[in-house]
Amino acid sequence: MKRIIIADDSATARMFIKRCLQIIGLGDAEIIEAEHGKEALTAAKAQDVDLLLTDLNMPVMDGETLVKWVKSSPKLCDLPVIVITSAGNPAKEAKLLKLGAHRVLNKPVSPPMMMDALAEFLDK
Amino acid sequence: MIEHNPLYQSMISAVSQTLENMAFTEVMEKLDRSYEIPTEELVWNSLLINDPVQGEIRLAMPKRVLKNLTGSIFGINDEEITQAQMDDIQNELLNTIVGLFLSNLFSDDQEYQMGLPESGREELPEIDANTIVWKLMTGEEDPLQIFAIGASLVALKNQ
Repeated sequence: MKRIIIADDSATARMFIKRCLQIIGLGDAEIIEAEHGKEALTAAKAQDVDLLLTDLNMPVMDGETLVKWVKSSPKLCDLPVIVITSAGNPAKEAKLLKLGAHRVLNKPVSPPMMMDALAEFLDK
Repeated sequence: MIEHNPLYQSMISAVSQTLENMAFTEVMEKLDRSYEIPTEELVWNSLLINDPVQGEIRLAMPKRVLKNLTGSIFGINDEEITQAQMDDIQNELLNTIVGLFLSNLFSDDQEYQMGLPESGREELPEIDANTIVWKLMTGEEDPLQIFAIGASLVALKNQ
């Protein structure tokens, strides 16, 4: 069973992402919800996680900082990270990909977008 | 009056895309430009744009409209809806709208910085000369209003 962290300060956004995951066939994944980057980082360090989905604009620790922390951690550097954000554009996307994010999706995210981004994880 | 400048159309497009994807409702301009949402019914929130221009975007709607959207989006009955859920829906709507608005408005190589949405606790502030107002309605003819405030933000309408 896959274990996925969703980091977003909005309960609505987390719900939409969970709904997308259910629709694309990841409904039985264990979902760990975090309201900010620090909470997500703590959860990722405490257990084996298969995927991190994160917003950018969050209090305490934002998504860009979370990506930096994950990718600089020996334990977490191979963890796939997908950024789901309202604050993305090609320039920001290039920056996040350079930091090590796997994909950047712009809100509002839809099941087909999620399917495309997670295709390689769905087959495992 | 339908304005065709990029600033105006960027916001129309952003609101339409957001409401269609998140709440499965279309959005159109309200023809009665004199319409104002009664103060006692109105709920609003705001989000700051920090870079490359400085401004504020506010989203206002009647509380019953927000309640309907909340029930529809969460798939719950009226009695189950909490204030926290309504605040969160309104904040996520505004967050998504502003992101799309800025993405529509600026070139691909322009980074921008937004703040976090905040629910308005007092009365909606008065508008001034550096304000643009979008008076919109949903497919169910429920009113929505968007305000863009700030000289450097509003000046983009002339570009």
